Amino acid sequence: MTQRPPSFVVRAPTGTYRSLNPATKLATAAAEVVAAFFLGLWTGPVVVLVLVVLTAFVAGVARRLGVVAAVTIPIVASIMLINSLLYPGATDVIARIGPLAPSISGFLFGLQITIRLLAASLALGVAYLTTRTGDLLADLERRGFGRRASFIIGSAIETVPRTVTRAAEIVDAQRARGLDTEGRWWRRVRGIVPLAAPVVFGALTEVEERTMALEARAFSTPGPRTVIRTLPDSGRQRAVRWALLLGLVLLVGLRLTGHLAVVP
Amino acid sequence: MGWISRQFTTRTIVLMPIAIAINIVLGATVQQVLKLPIYLDSIGTILVGVVAGPIAGLLTGVLSNLIWGYLLPAPIGSSTIGPFAITAGVIGLLAGLWGWLGLFRSRRGERSSIPGAIVAVILVGALALYTFSRAYASPTDFQNNTGFDPTTLDQSRIFFLVILVIFVALIAFALFLRRDVGAVYAIGAGLVTGIAAAIVSAPIAAIVYGGVTGSGTDLLVAAFRAGGDSLVSATLKQGLLSDPMDKMITSFVVFFIVGNLSQRFIARFPNGERLVSPSA
Repeated sequence: MTQRPPSFVVRAPTGTYRSLNPATKLATAAAEVVAAFFLGLWTGPVVVLVLVVLTAFVAGVARRLGVVAAVTIPIVASIMLINSLLYPGATDVIARIGPLAPSISGFLFGLQITIRLLAASLALGVAYLTTRTGDLLADLERRGFGRRASFIIGSAIETVPRTVTRAAEIVDAQRARGLDTEGRWWRRVRGIVPLAAPVVFGALTEVEERTMALEARAFSTPGPRTVIRTLPDSGRQRAVRWALLLGLVLLVGLRLTGHLAVVP
Repeated sequence: MGWISRQFTTRTIVLMPIAIAINIVLGATVQQVLKLPIYLDSIGTILVGVVAGPIAGLLTGVLSNLIWGYLLPAPIGSSTIGPFAITAGVIGLLAGLWGWLGLFRSRRGERSSIPGAIVAVILVGALALYTFSRAYASPTDFQNNTGFDPTTLDQSRIFFLVILVIFVALIAFALFLRRDVGAVYAIGAGLVTGIAAAIVSAPIAAIVYGGVTGSGTDLLVAAFRAGGDSLVSATLKQGLLSDPMDKMITSFVVFFIVGNLSQRFIARFPNGERLVSPSA
């Protein structure tokens, strides 16, 4: 029998939904996104949206999911405005104000796209909020996902906030040297090169050191690595994942052969 | 399969996440903060494509958009980017091709490259003139050859000229201030990449978002729709304006990054030998 690694290596996630295997949550999110796009114009998006919000409440991430939803406000506003006011070929125009022609069909089209967009992005949002990236990558690596691929993804996610911090430091440093970052636009445009160049070149000079560090740790040796962290999985979850995959293929197949045209 | 695995040395594997971060950070700043009608979110993709090869470039592009769209938390992450992973992949693939052809090699003071550069400029100029005479010369030509509404001719004509002016300005800067003939090839490659990117992304923008993505380019889509275009042609026109401009600037930036990094550093990448000048 294999010995369980100590608790500082594996921190068990709490809560029913959170403690599901990352692959199960990923499969659920993928199925929800596909359903939002392939199951009718209204049915799929609405059902998925309701389902996702319910899951968020069960998993206790409803408040944080609200933040994710709030980020989509600019695009939602943009979609609603442009479609409501400028829908080409609308027959039910309410009024004409210069080039603007508000119409009901445009409004409905905008609403439909908004619901679909919210359903898809919140489905992924729930998966993201209930899973740690490290767990997901560790689990995928155990399932035979390449170590190079998991290094690229994991490292990219860590590098983004570091680059943002670094960029902020560079802005401060250049300001201290007298760079104008808040004047008129042509002054700000002149500031792009002294700001962007150190960010890019600074990041690229790290490549050499990191390559050496990885090679010193036998990164490119062939053969599998021993995974210390294994995440719990069950036969039932495996069955759910296969069922989701099957349903997904079925849905896409039915849609492409035109059998779903009757679904509103 | 050797040519694929040769692109993924440890050095490439280390460069890819950094390139992805550069894409995301610069792209998010330009699109969400500055709201400019360009993207600047493919500097990393084109860089990897050029120094490592087409498949590495393709993967960098696709992963950038997927990570940006689906794996990062809200302030930076933006789910509208995800579906454009297809476009980003095409950009990376093309960049790899240009890198292989040696189009991003610095040719500072190389007199032997001047005839080639002149040919490149003449080709682009001829292409522009041909497009202009076929599609923009008169309202009927415009409608017959592009299928767009003839009333939007003036608008399109101005945008077409904007792209040409930027192309000429970048080339003049490279030739007369930097004295580097190689930039002409890089900017030309960027122009082609941009046109390909616009054609690939228009249907994505139209189908997934109704043409609206919440960034500065929305203003252009709104302008074209107000001019009476259908959804797909409005997004395609927005793309044909933003993408070639964006990719020319991006290619130009990558060209100078490659030229300004140490030759020793560049030469160690899979495609390094095609990027350093033989005299160095």
